[in-house]
Amino acid sequence: MLADAIRAEGYRLSKNRMTVFWSVIFTPLLFAVGGIAYHLNKAQGDKLAAGANLPTMPVSPVNLAEALTFTANLAAEAKLGGMILVFMLIAGATVYAGDYRWESWRLISARNDRTSLILGKVGVMKVLALATMLVLLVASLLFFASQAIIYQRPLSFDMSLAEAGDTLLIWLLSCIRIVQFGLIGLLTAIVTRSMLAALFVPLALGFGQSILGIPPLMAFLGLHPDGWAAQLLMPGLSYDALKTLLVPGITPAPITAAALWPAIVGLALWTLLPLGASIAWFKRQDLSKE
Amino acid sequence: MTAVIETRGLAKTYGTVRALDGLDLSIPRGGVYGVLGPNGAGKSTLFRILLGLIRSTDGTAIVMGGGVGDVAAMRRMGSMIETPRFPPYLTARQVLEWLARAQGITGAADIPRWLERVGLTEAADRRVRGFSVGMMQRLGVAAALLSDPELIILDEPTSGMDPPGIQEMRALIRALADHEGVTVVLASHQLLEVQRVCDRVAILNKGKLVREGAVSELTAVGERLRLSVTQQAQVLEVLGSKGAAEGDAVLADIKRAEGPALIRALAGAGVDIHEARWVGTDLEAIFFTETGAVQAPETIHAG
Repeated sequence: MLADAIRAEGYRLSKNRMTVFWSVIFTPLLFAVGGIAYHLNKAQGDKLAAGANLPTMPVSPVNLAEALTFTANLAAEAKLGGMILVFMLIAGATVYAGDYRWESWRLISARNDRTSLILGKVGVMKVLALATMLVLLVASLLFFASQAIIYQRPLSFDMSLAEAGDTLLIWLLSCIRIVQFGLIGLLTAIVTRSMLAALFVPLALGFGQSILGIPPLMAFLGLHPDGWAAQLLMPGLSYDALKTLLVPGITPAPITAAALWPAIVGLALWTLLPLGASIAWFKRQDLSKE
Repeated sequence: MTAVIETRGLAKTYGTVRALDGLDLSIPRGGVYGVLGPNGAGKSTLFRILLGLIRSTDGTAIVMGGGVGDVAAMRRMGSMIETPRFPPYLTARQVLEWLARAQGITGAADIPRWLERVGLTEAADRRVRGFSVGMMQRLGVAAALLSDPELIILDEPTSGMDPPGIQEMRALIRALADHEGVTVVLASHQLLEVQRVCDRVAILNKGKLVREGAVSELTAVGERLRLSVTQQAQVLEVLGSKGAAEGDAVLADIKRAEGPALIRALAGAGVDIHEARWVGTDLEAIFFTETGAVQAPETIHAG
């Protein structure tokens, strides 16, 4: 039954080309084009400064493996990560609240159990998040490769097993963070039956949490970054803490080992609670009033 | 006769409003079954409960041998509740492909056949955002039939359709019941339509079942032979207490079996009979009697 729900939801989303373009392709495309333009511009500047031929940079190989870590960090970084998040939330609002807007729940809810219908949507959104990360990876590879081409540097792929593990961990955490926002959108969609609310409530919540995470404000409120209260209130802080603690040196967050369990619980709570609440609410929901 | 739908004491309360009030209903397998009632009688509430869209407050409902929400049982039936709406960016064909996947019939669904049967072949690859209400209805019916169900529930299937569309839908519903063994349960406000297409009907009022039975039996009650004749007084004399004048015609309160003999006798007596036809208590009259609804002058039946 879950497989049917995923197949149906995936098929429907694949036909919604606008949503797929904006959520999966637009940001990575922007990054790739912007990155290549940056390299070209910088090379031009270097050329003018040197008054001679390239290269002005040291002739070391461009390591494509760095694109993997780079991508994972980009997805969580404020500017590009924020853009990805916004477009993913737009897709999430379409997937999660679309059936209320189009009054199509009554078409499919009589053909499958409600838990499968919700999990099917979550599954498709996870695939969409992963697809976005993969397209972003392709864009990163293009960014790195363009650097090599423009500066006439050799390409290499050099990554140790430990680095691969760290990169995978960052990818996983970034994916959880994206899906987490989506799940808050899911709960909002079910409770409000509104696409706009499904988009703006997670954004507003994320914005509020980031304000709350400003160190002076935290200090004013007596919240310690390592403490349970801060970690349970701010999943973004949990994400940073876990990245810092599990992949040392990746982010300079002021976190100690004491934050590990609060961060794990905080991240899990903000993932599982919206999902559980969504399923419980949806199972009892009157679907004749769409 | 096995039941495809069985309800016992089914009740639904919205705040202080009792939409269904202990409904006991048994819908037999086969044929076309109409559920009638004025607005607020509980028809839509009944359908919504049967399809698992809302929960009943009390009582039980068995659909296709399983409880409401039993997915295996639910997939043996199709449904169309109210005017269906679909994601606007999908074409008619894509809507059916999407719904086929939703019920696990990938690849097996005969989508072109259903599009053809509801008259949407030419519009198959058009986005549904440009569809009229009638076209949406047709697509909704195709969606309901997609899994070759044993039972389909249709709420106002001809709503928004033009007269040829209504005729086509009526033919499709009858063909499904007569040739493909599908049990069709439908709700409609068009009583003449229901009388034409349904084998049995249930009339609901204020959440309760007030009348149920075969259309032929219900309408046979009070049936009379209407004779358009030139010599009205002579015919009334022959019929005595069994005759009544209705305009220039005479209504003979006799049994069907006595009809041919009466006509022969009148013809033998030199009466000019221009027309003879049986007029019964049609569904509309029964509906208004049972529900206590006020009948507008123009809707009073002519038999």
